[in-house]
Amino acid sequence: MITKNVLEPAKARITQIRRMTENENLITIKFLDRDFLEAFRYIPGQFVKLGIMGVGEAPISICTAQTSEPGLELCIRNAGRVTSAIHNLKAGDLIWVRGPYGNGFPLEECEGSDVILVAGGLGIAPIRGVLQYTLLNREKYGEISVLYGVKCYDLMLFKDDVLDWFRKGDSQGVKLYLSYEDKEDKTCYELECERDDRCTQGLVTSLFSKIDQPSKNTVAMIGGPPIMYKFTVTELENLGLAPEKVFMTLERRMKCGIGQCGNCIVGTGKSIKYVCKDGPVFSLWDAINTKGMI
Amino acid sequence: MKELLKILDKDRMNDFFDSIQNYGEVYGPVNGTGSAHTFKNVKRFSEVDLNYTRTMIPPKKYFIHPEEVIFTFDKEKEMYFEPPNIDKNMVLFGVHACDINAMNLLARVFMEELPDKYYLERRKNSVIIGVNCIPDEYCFCKSTGTSYAQDGYELFLNDIGDKYLLRVGSLKGSEIVEAHSDLFGEAKAQDVTEFKTREKTRLASFTRELEMTGLQDLLDLSFDDPVWDEYGDKCLSCGSCNLVCPRCRCYDVQDYINLDMTTGERVRRWDSCMLKEHGLVAGGHNFRPTPKERLRNRFNCKGSLREGMTNCVGCGRCTVFCPAKIDFVEVMKKVRGEI
Repeated sequence: MITKNVLEPAKARITQIRRMTENENLITIKFLDRDFLEAFRYIPGQFVKLGIMGVGEAPISICTAQTSEPGLELCIRNAGRVTSAIHNLKAGDLIWVRGPYGNGFPLEECEGSDVILVAGGLGIAPIRGVLQYTLLNREKYGEISVLYGVKCYDLMLFKDDVLDWFRKGDSQGVKLYLSYEDKEDKTCYELECERDDRCTQGLVTSLFSKIDQPSKNTVAMIGGPPIMYKFTVTELENLGLAPEKVFMTLERRMKCGIGQCGNCIVGTGKSIKYVCKDGPVFSLWDAINTKGMI
Repeated sequence: MKELLKILDKDRMNDFFDSIQNYGEVYGPVNGTGSAHTFKNVKRFSEVDLNYTRTMIPPKKYFIHPEEVIFTFDKEKEMYFEPPNIDKNMVLFGVHACDINAMNLLARVFMEELPDKYYLERRKNSVIIGVNCIPDEYCFCKSTGTSYAQDGYELFLNDIGDKYLLRVGSLKGSEIVEAHSDLFGEAKAQDVTEFKTREKTRLASFTRELEMTGLQDLLDLSFDDPVWDEYGDKCLSCGSCNLVCPRCRCYDVQDYINLDMTTGERVRRWDSCMLKEHGLVAGGHNFRPTPKERLRNRFNCKGSLREGMTNCVGCGRCTVFCPAKIDFVEVMKKVRGEI
């Protein structure tokens, strides 16, 4: 019997690169390995290890919901050695993929619930996948609200999607709320003038005063920088959401993606977890029970 | 029926050693030039010193190499290639119970769910021969429940005077015994009695103890305890404890490209949670920025039951080889509130 080598990446090609901000590109890749393509089933919140020969691999969260389209979209922030090398690639270049890894958001378990999605900065990437998924399965979910916090208009990711949901979301069954930090930002100010019930200057947490009191049957899913979680979960707790109804996706250093390299370890003797394998999505109850998680 | 208990006379050890060479390259404990023993490739029984307490580097090094090429690649051919000979046969001779139990945990990490091909192939093609030992003042494997190996070996030699009581631990082990049946005698009731007596004496000779009951919860309750400041200040963040730990298995992966800019290697090497980069992510955020957080993380990891068994086997290596003289048991006793 030949043992499969789980660390061996599969070949893919970049078919499209779209510049989103000064620092972030949205790349579309197509798998060239048929077996890998056929086996590649994912749910939003999972991630892949994306690599370049001679440079290395980086964990990148998937920012779409799976459809029959064979391509995969990945939002790449130029933040490290591998991601800066990915930024130097052109459409048509090869890229290498392993995965999908991690648990993903519990979207099936949350069917029938109202959904609050909270995203800050690059955290919109996995949350966009969740939103796509809930909209593709719109009848399975109740009210859907999205709270998205940006620093300024220039750093807003997925602008077309976000503005479309901001302006026309109600007809698709999604309320998108927007916050911006930069007081001088004219474009965001114009958006605030356009819908002051949906947009405000401040941190993403300032949007909680704008949303309706959530029903008892509400779940929240959060994606954002490490500093955002504590503040966001406090707001959600104040709104009455139980800790097992709040989910968040976490970032850690990951070399393997499969619970072996040990870099993503978190918790105490009682609660040790691998973020890559046990997560990256955890409930607030997990976070309460795992010191150092958020 | 196959017998799982045999007798091997000590004066047949040369012959036994020669016979196991048929199963691969033999690695055994050798008395190094300094004070520490080392597992090395050995060709003759006379090179081996079975009367040792601990090697500096545990035998995990044969399954997860300190540094190894996991792939070579070629950009023009657009291919990754596995290195050759990952399934080379080998015999680990003279391994202690703590190290065998440590490898049982590594096997859970690397051989279940999504098995690591390198670890799996090496373990499948290896023979592990254990030998019993006498604890020194740093050993506390009795406390961690790992002073006795119940599984994870092919053969285990228990010294009962002028002979060994040989325990057979796997089918491969029983095949070795069958293939060399002239070397072994039948174990009698008095041999088992002698084994029990010596085992009792061995267990009674431990001087170091660590109460393990409730340790997981006590570590959790001590998350903000000053103990981590105290030892964080002492810790040099050198990572020696990780390298010598038979259960530490964190690894890092690096790509190296050759001067032709076309071919190169993806290399995996032992990593250390005591190094600053271990918790660093792209963009500069570090989840364990200071020695305090890293030390706390290591002790919590060692105390956890994440893999169904304690992540420490009580071998004492991290204490013996720590240049800052941080005593593992002492730290845990402070966590427990005993000192």
